[in-house]
Amino acid sequence: MATFTGTVFDIRQFSVFDGDGIRTTVFLKGCPLQCQWCHNPEGLAFTPSVLVNRKACTRCGACEAVCPSPDNCIQCGLCLKACQLGLRRMCGELWESNRLAELLLKDRDYLTLVQGGVTFSGGEPLAQAPFLLDVLSKLDGMNVAIETSGFSEPDIFQKVADKLDFLLMDVKLMDPGKHRHFTGRDNRLILENLRYLKSGRIPYIIRIPLIPGVTDTTENLTAAAKFLEDATGLIRVELLPYHYTAGAKYEMTGMTYSPEFDILQKPNADVSIFTNRGIPCMAM
Amino acid sequence: MNREFSIGKGNSMDTRIEFLRNHFIVEKKHHANRKPPLDKYAAARGYGLEGFSDMRRATERLGHMLANETPIVLPEERITITRTLVTIPELHTEEEWAVIRAAHHIHEAGKICNICPDYASVIDRGFAGKRMEIAAAQKQFASSGNQAAMEYLDCTLTVLDQLESFSARYGAEAKRVGNTQLTEVFAWIPQNRPRTFQEALQFFRLLHFGLWCSGNYHNTIGRFDQFMFPYLQADLDNGTLAPETALELVEEFFLSFNKDSDLYPGMQQGDNGQSLVLGGLNPDGTDSFNLLSDLCLKACMALRLIDPKINLRVHGKTPQAMYEQATHLTKLGLGFPQYTNDDVAIPALLLWGYEPEDAYNYVMAACWEVIIPGCAMDVPNISALSFPESLVAVMAELPLTTSFDALMDRMRDAIHAQTNRITSVLGNLYLEPSPLISLMMDTCISRGSDVSNGCRYNNYGIHGTGLSTAVDSLAAIRQYVFEEKRFTGRELLNLLEGNFDGNQDLVRELRENGPKFGNDEESVDSIASSLLGWFADSLQNRKNDRGGIFRAGTGSAMYYLWHAKSIGATPDGRYAGDPLAANYSPSLTGHCRGPVSILKSFAKPPLVRVANGGPLTMELHDSVFRTEESIGKVARFVRSYFELGGLQMQINAVNRDTLLEAKKHPEQHRELIVRVWGWSGHFVELDEEYQDHILKRMEWAI
Repeated sequence: MATFTGTVFDIRQFSVFDGDGIRTTVFLKGCPLQCQWCHNPEGLAFTPSVLVNRKACTRCGACEAVCPSPDNCIQCGLCLKACQLGLRRMCGELWESNRLAELLLKDRDYLTLVQGGVTFSGGEPLAQAPFLLDVLSKLDGMNVAIETSGFSEPDIFQKVADKLDFLLMDVKLMDPGKHRHFTGRDNRLILENLRYLKSGRIPYIIRIPLIPGVTDTTENLTAAAKFLEDATGLIRVELLPYHYTAGAKYEMTGMTYSPEFDILQKPNADVSIFTNRGIPCMAM
Repeated sequence: MNREFSIGKGNSMDTRIEFLRNHFIVEKKHHANRKPPLDKYAAARGYGLEGFSDMRRATERLGHMLANETPIVLPEERITITRTLVTIPELHTEEEWAVIRAAHHIHEAGKICNICPDYASVIDRGFAGKRMEIAAAQKQFASSGNQAAMEYLDCTLTVLDQLESFSARYGAEAKRVGNTQLTEVFAWIPQNRPRTFQEALQFFRLLHFGLWCSGNYHNTIGRFDQFMFPYLQADLDNGTLAPETALELVEEFFLSFNKDSDLYPGMQQGDNGQSLVLGGLNPDGTDSFNLLSDLCLKACMALRLIDPKINLRVHGKTPQAMYEQATHLTKLGLGFPQYTNDDVAIPALLLWGYEPEDAYNYVMAACWEVIIPGCAMDVPNISALSFPESLVAVMAELPLTTSFDALMDRMRDAIHAQTNRITSVLGNLYLEPSPLISLMMDTCISRGSDVSNGCRYNNYGIHGTGLSTAVDSLAAIRQYVFEEKRFTGRELLNLLEGNFDGNQDLVRELRENGPKFGNDEESVDSIASSLLGWFADSLQNRKNDRGGIFRAGTGSAMYYLWHAKSIGATPDGRYAGDPLAANYSPSLTGHCRGPVSILKSFAKPPLVRVANGGPLTMELHDSVFRTEESIGKVARFVRSYFELGGLQMQINAVNRDTLLEAKKHPEQHRELIVRVWGWSGHFVELDEEYQDHILKRMEWAI
C-alpha cells in the first residue's frame, strides 16, 4: 500500500479545546506563515529541530564538543545524548502515514465513546497535504478535524475540507497589507478558502487571535464580522486573547521573539461586534 | 432528585456562614480558648492504681474529657461544640503499653480508627431508646452471670450519662449567651429523636465530637446524604425549613469538621479521615443521589475547605450532569471528590462474602478503602505489600533465569512469599475498647461485647504499593535482557547496583522509550493484570485470627515513600530511593503517552479482585477546567474510566507554578490545598518530602 511520510512534532491526547468531545491532536511541523505572535515557534520549520532548555544549561561544553556542524545544525542528534542534564530534545519526528493511522485508530472506540476524535494542527497541517490526506483516508469511522490558518491552494483546501467532520480556522487580519506585514503572507488565499467554507456544508469554528492593537481593533473585528455575516455552517467565532507567555518557547528554539505590539496590553475582547450581527461568539 | 431548587450553584455564602468561616477558619479565634497541653499519662497512672479494666479506663477517659471541656457557644451558631482540651489522655502508662505491645499486634496507635459507625442507629432512637436496648440486654446477661458483658453494658450507660450531662452544660451555655435556638435543641437532644434537621445535625456533631474525645481517629462520616435525608425531607415537607436555610445548615455543619481538625492525629495535617459519601446504587437498581447529596456538593463549593472529604459513588446509570457538578468541585482544587464505581465495588464485596444489603451500603474509610458502616470492625489498611520488593527478590536471581516466563513464575512465588510474611505477623490484634463507637455498631449491645473484640465482619485489607514500578521494570527486563539482549542479567544487576552511575544515556532511554504501564500496550498491561491477580490469589482462602478474610487493594497510603527508601535502582530507570507512585497510578519515572492511554491501561486489570481501595490518581492542568464545555469533557473523561471497568478515580486540578511559588512564599499561600494520597491538606503545612512528591507528580500533568 502506498504510504507517505510526514513530520510530526507532537501527538497530544486529551485536547479539550480543539473541537467536539475529547480529542487527540496531531501537530504537523512547518508553517508557511510567520505570525509575529506565534506561540508554537517550534512548529514553524518544516524539518526536525533541536530544542534546548537554556535556562538550566550550565555551559559545560559537552554538546559543543560532539557537534560536527556548529554553524549549521544538521539534526544529527549527537548533542542530545551528550547533554548530561538532558536539556536537549529533538522536536519533530518522521512518521509513516500507515503507522500514524494505526496509532490513532487504536483509540477509535474510546474517542467515539466520548464523542471526540482527532484534530490535525500545526504548524500548518495543509502544508503537508499529501501526507494528511493519506492519513485521513485511513481513519475510517473517526471524527476528524483540522486546525488551520487557511493558507493553502484552494484545490488542496477543498480536497481536505471535504474529508472532515469540521474545521477550526483562523482569521487574523482582514486588511491584506497588514496581514502581509504581521504574518509575512497575503490573505487572499485565506479569504478565498473561507468563502468556500461559508458556502459549503461543513461545520466550522472561526478563531481570531486577539493581538493588542493589531487584530483586536474594532475596524478589524468589524470587517471580519461583516465577512462572516451571511455564513452558513459557522458554529461560532472564538476570540482568543493574546497572553504574554506566548513568547516563552522562543528561547528554546534559538529564535528571538520581537513582536511590534505591546505584549502586556490587555486585548479588546468585544464579542458584541459579532453577536450584534447574529453570529455566535465567545471569548476564550 | 425529587425537588427542584433555585439556589444557584452554591458559590456564595450567607453572611452568618461567612462570619463563622472567618471566625473558625481564617482567624482561628477559637484557639484562644484552648487549654494548655497536659501530661497524657497522668490519668493512666491513676487507672493502674485503681486496677481498672481497659473497658473502664476507656469510659473514664471519655468522662474526664467531657467533664473538663468548657462549653463555648457563639450567639451566631446553629450547630455548636468546639474543643478546648488539646490533650487526650492515654489509657495505659508507657510501661503497661510496652507489655501489651509485646504480646499483641498493634495497628498504628492501637485505637479503633478508620471504621464507620452507624450514627443513625443512635440519632434515630435518641439516648432514651438506646437505654431501653441496653436495659433489655442487662436483664439477659444478669441471669447468665456474664461479668464482662455486665461491665461493658454498664460502661455504655455511663457513656450516655456523660454525653447527656455534657450536652446539658452546652445547653446552659447557649442560654447564657442568649442563643435560644440552641438552648431548645439541647433541651431535647440527645435524650430524644431529633425533631428537626438542625437537631439531627447537632446530634451528629455531639457523637462525632465524642469519638475524637474517646481517642478514636479517622472517624469517617459515611452515607450522610442517606441517613440524614429523612430529617431534611420532613422539615421541607412541613414547611419549617426553607431550602436556602437547609444549605446554610449543611455549610455550618461542614464547618464543624474543620474547627478542631488540627488536633486530630494523622500522618500529616489533613490526614484525618473525615470521609463523606454521596449517592450510590440501590439494590433495586435505582440511584440514591438526592436533594441532600446536591446540597452537600453546593456547600463544598461555597466553603472551599478540606473537610469533609467528598466521595461519590457512581455506576452505569449515574447521569453525566452529576459528573459535571462534581468536576466543578474538582476545579476548586480541594483534592476531591473521589469516585468509586459501584459496578465493581459491590460485586467485589459480594465475592468477599459480604451480605448484599451490606455490600450496597458500603462507604469509604479514611482514604479510599471500601468499608461497611455499622457492622464491620475491618482493618482495611493493616499492612502493605510492596511489589518492588518482590521484584528486587527475583532480580537477584536474574543471571540464573533463562526466560521471561521463568522470571514471572518467580515473581508469582515472591508475591506469595511476601504476603505469607506480612500476614503472619498480624495475629492477636489489640484494640483499645471504645464504648461510644460500640453504641453505634450492630450487635455489640445484644452480644454484650465491645467492638474492639470484633463485629459482624473482621476482615483485613492489604495495600499494594509500587505496582507500576514493578510492571515497568519487568517489561524492561523482558525487552532489554530477553528480547533485544542489550545486556545480560548480570550486567543489568551491575548497572542497578551502581545506581546507573555513568549511564545517564541509558537512564534516559529507559525512562523515555522503555515500556510503561499506562501506554495502553497489551503486553505491558497484562503484566499488571498478572501481578494483581497473584496478589489476590495469595490472600484467597487465608483467614485472620479474628475469623475474617484478607482483601487485596491498590492503595499505597504513605508506603509510596516508606517502601521506596529501601528499594535500590530499578530497571525502569528509577534511581535508588526515588519515590514510587502514590496509589494506583503510573510511575513517576517515565512519561506515558497521555491521559487516554493511562485510563485505558489502568482499566484492564481484574480490579474486582483487588478492590480494597486505591484510586487511579491523575493530575490535570487547571486550564482544562476553563470553560463549561471543557468541564463537561473532563467529566466525560472521568465517567469513561468507569465505563471501561475502573474502580476508583481521583482527578486533581493543578498548577505547578502556583505550588512552586507557595514553596517559596508559604506565608502568602496558607489556604492552598492539595491532594496527598487519600486526603487533602494545606500545601504549606506538609513536610517537604510530601511537597516534593506532589510537585514531581505534576511534571506529568497535561
